Amino acid sequence: MRKDILIVAFIALLIAVVISGTKIQSVEEYYLTHIDDITEDSETVFISIDARAALDNWDDLESELQSEKYVPKDGMILEETEYVLRPKDTVFDILQRTTRHHQIHMEYQGANENIYNSVYIQGINQLYEFSAGPLSGWMYAVNGEFPDHGVGKYTLEDGDVIEFKYTTDLGRDVQDN
Amino acid sequence: MRSFSTYHPFILFIYYVFVLSITMFMMHPVILFLSLVGSLIFYMMLTSVRTLWKEIRFYLFVFILMAVTNPLFVHKGETILFFLNDNPVTYEAVVYGVFISMMLIAVVFWSKAYSYLMTSDKFVYLFGKTIPKLSLVISMALKFIPSFKQQIKKVHNTQKTLGIYTSESITDRIISGIRTFNSMISWSLENAIEQGDAMKAKGYGLKGRTNFSIFTWNHRDMFVFIIIVIVFIIIMFVNGLGGYSFTYYPVLSNWRITGNDIVKYILVMLLVFLPSLIELKENLQWKYAKSRI
Repeated sequence: MRKDILIVAFIALLIAVVISGTKIQSVEEYYLTHIDDITEDSETVFISIDARAALDNWDDLESELQSEKYVPKDGMILEETEYVLRPKDTVFDILQRTTRHHQIHMEYQGANENIYNSVYIQGINQLYEFSAGPLSGWMYAVNGEFPDHGVGKYTLEDGDVIEFKYTTDLGRDVQDN
Repeated sequence: MRSFSTYHPFILFIYYVFVLSITMFMMHPVILFLSLVGSLIFYMMLTSVRTLWKEIRFYLFVFILMAVTNPLFVHKGETILFFLNDNPVTYEAVVYGVFISMMLIAVVFWSKAYSYLMTSDKFVYLFGKTIPKLSLVISMALKFIPSFKQQIKKVHNTQKTLGIYTSESITDRIISGIRTFNSMISWSLENAIEQGDAMKAKGYGLKGRTNFSIFTWNHRDMFVFIIIVIVFIIIMFVNGLGGYSFTYYPVLSNWRITGNDIVKYILVMLLVFLPSLIELKENLQWKYAKSRI
């Protein structure tokens, strides 16, 4: 019987750990974020989210995504916007803050879930990897160059310009060689 | 009780191919629901209400587990219910989880019913000539779980009489159970090899070897064959035209059933409830005949 009590205690501990590790927020609560105001001496970056490649390959896109709701008419999910850069911010931090502020849907794979130890962006605004053929997905460029490491590892500097681009051809259609 | 099993093995085989392919490859919620209901009713007719209830209690747990797992890992969908660790949990993912687990359970129950009807002699009769090795392997695989269950019960009972399970503690009992299971694995491997050797010694698969079988193809089989093939072809045709298409992400397609749709679903119902109807008809006939004595 003592063994049983031990096992029950262990399971209870496990459940307690799982519950303490989860954070449940309502939709309003999640989107209620504070954005730093841009003052004269604050460091800033620019970010834009661009799905023009999906517009060019409209027929490859899954039929349920062929709507203005997911790919806007001009292809830009988010026009270039200026945000305050906090110290040690990575590209991912900025993207998360931006999508939260603008209430844009975004799904990512956490840094501990893949072999690269870096965050991977799976989908933005319901537009996912492989949504427009097997070579499609999200890429990002900083100051016009495509870095060869993940969004969670790129630390930004003042005045950087971030562009998130949807590609349908492994980056060849968005000028990445 | 099992009048559908008296049909020709080919009918049984082709029926299951049709029903499983409709259940597995069409993601339409109405089809999945009808298929699940059909499989449950048919399984109940083959066994009993009590067996079905016992099974349902277990599969309800599996159902809930699978339905909850999907929204935890898939965050697609427009209607956000709440945020879990900064990831959206969406209504669409919940609905998809419910229907995908419905599909899995329907497939499980069709297969359970199938193992009652399609005995290994029927399977070997169908495929023994054309693909002897594969049909032997498949019939052994189909028989594997039931015989495994039987044997584990035997070992369990023997251990009980030896006084192994006397401890009150649940943990001890679980550990003993694992030990029995361990011994079962080597038993099943050995058993499979022995079975293969036995079949080889009997000359299975050799040229010129004949098989005795009592299956004949008669009018009844022809009638059912024509019905299921026609219904299946019409369903496939309608599906090709997009009649059964349904998307879950990013927004659910229209749920509402209009007058035109009813015909589409009656076709599916015809296919899914056919064995149950046959059982029902035979049961009624039997009751009627008995009442006249």
